[in-house]
Amino acid sequence: MAINIGYFMSESIQSFRRNWVMSLGAVITIYLSLLLVGASLASSMIVGQVVRSVEEKVSIRVFLKDGAAPADVDAMNKALVADARVKDVTYTSKEKALEEFKLTMADSPEIIDQLEVNPLPASLDVDLEKPQDVTAVVEMIKANPNFIKVADRPDDPEKSLKYGQQIVNQLFAFTRVLRAVGVVFIVMLAVISLIFINNTIRIAIYARRKEIGIMRLVGASNWFIRTPFLLEGTLQSLLGAFLALLTLGSIQWFVMPKVKEIISFMPVSLSVGSSVQISLILVLSGVIIGLAGSAVALRRYLKV
Amino acid sequence: MISMRNVSKTYGADKPALYDVNVEIEQGEFVFLVGHSGSGKSTFIRLMQRELLPSEGTIVVAGQDLTKMKNWKVPYLRRNIGCVFQDFKLLPNKTTYENVAFALEVIGRSKHVIRTQVPEVLRLVGLEEKINSYPDELSGGEQQRVSIARAFVNRPPLLLADEPTGNLDPATSLGIMSLFSRINKTGTTVLVATHDREMVDSMRKRVIALENGRVIRDQDRGVYGYGD
Ligand SMILES: Nc1ncnc2c1ncn2[C@@H]1O[C@H](COP(=O)(O)OP(=O)(O)OP(=O)(O)O)[C@@H](O)[C@H]1O
Ligand SMILES: [Mg+2]
Repeated sequence: MAINIGYFMSESIQSFRRNWVMSLGAVITIYLSLLLVGASLASSMIVGQVVRSVEEKVSIRVFLKDGAAPADVDAMNKALVADARVKDVTYTSKEKALEEFKLTMADSPEIIDQLEVNPLPASLDVDLEKPQDVTAVVEMIKANPNFIKVADRPDDPEKSLKYGQQIVNQLFAFTRVLRAVGVVFIVMLAVISLIFINNTIRIAIYARRKEIGIMRLVGASNWFIRTPFLLEGTLQSLLGAFLALLTLGSIQWFVMPKVKEIISFMPVSLSVGSSVQISLILVLSGVIIGLAGSAVALRRYLKV
Repeated sequence: MISMRNVSKTYGADKPALYDVNVEIEQGEFVFLVGHSGSGKSTFIRLMQRELLPSEGTIVVAGQDLTKMKNWKVPYLRRNIGCVFQDFKLLPNKTTYENVAFALEVIGRSKHVIRTQVPEVLRLVGLEEKINSYPDELSGGEQQRVSIARAFVNRPPLLLADEPTGNLDPATSLGIMSLFSRINKTGTTVLVATHDREMVDSMRKRVIALENGRVIRDQDRGVYGYGD
């Protein structure tokens, strides 16, 4: 077996050199396809993280007017807690709201020191089971008769509520488009890669038709005859996958830190786990494209 | 060794290339297959190699029924059949030694086996001086010896030759034939398809004559025949 591996490798490399224009074409198309696969995987993972971080912030705040009757607040609270879509309701007093505000303004404490009265309203903070329910729960709150009684701005109830449905919707729409475009491109490039590999293997078979004839004559097994070609296709696409990984790796190392500096408020970095996952997917797709492309060519052009 | 029963072979819808052929060849025999061009000699040889399947009848080679043989087993059958052709079928970018060694490499023989068997068979065919020559540096007769060495290096029990002397002059052909004779003496069954009249007449071996796909004569110690 040890002889065989050496033999197969040298056959594949020889064939690559003999037919390097086509082989390079195959490597480049696979490189581009896998680069795109990797880039769209990475970006959809990053967008997913951003969506999740935004979703976590999707809660509804009901601002309460100063001096709202505790009984009314309690009734509102009970109505919210009773709703199945609501996970949790917390009461933030005026004092707590000011403290939180102070934390966010820690850089310029003088602003807070100038305050004579606490201008911040108390609030009921509503956490939801699912972020998609935001609009429905908002409607439910508005319909509750207690809401007007406790609302900070009874004249304009909308201003007494704060929630972030719009961003989430936009992000969801964006990821959907991204995925669709990504899938179309990837399928297209995968098909082009398959055609390229198919072609290089066809030429490789043609270049070696005399050897193949003799191998068949002296009784080389079918797998022995096929393996160099399968290996050749697989090596080409692994080379493409390797180059794609190299490119994505350099982007991750050299470009992403700069991006992170610019948009520091969003979690745009990839975890080690995600990077490993993407690398595995790329290598595996490379192997599959290579094997499939050469297998199709062998079926069509090599009668054993 | 070889047993053909009621074998017919028709390509497409034409008249059959072989028709109702019945032939028995014993282990260790030397047999000439003669006939005019188009009489079906090559078709006969290709049926033996299971390059082709018969349209009708059964063929048993080395105890195996070729008509029932699974495709994946065919390579293992071919390891027991050496083949020699008119056009030598040597690889131009390989030396004599490499061409012969190739036949063993591709059936997975070890380096040790290759290093001992290749020089031995090259000595047998009288080419020990030319082991590092490329095919284009060899005469036709020498090239044919390389191809016989390659066919015989794995010591197959059956050797098939289709017009092995078709491209060679009479003196060289005689040398090739005596080589087949020597190989036959080691116990290998040899089947040679030819229309080389002098050769057949001088060797006085068994002769099977084909005409229009039919066996018209099967004669021990025979001659080429045909009155033309
Ligand atoms: N692949 C093929 N397809 C169709 N017809 C074929 C094929 N091979 C051979 N034939 C026909 O079968 C018949 C026998 O051919 P075959 O090659 O066996 O003859 P042969 O005796 O070897 O002739 P030669 O001495 O010229 O080599 C011929 O009529 C030929 O035209
Ligand atoms: Mg012929």
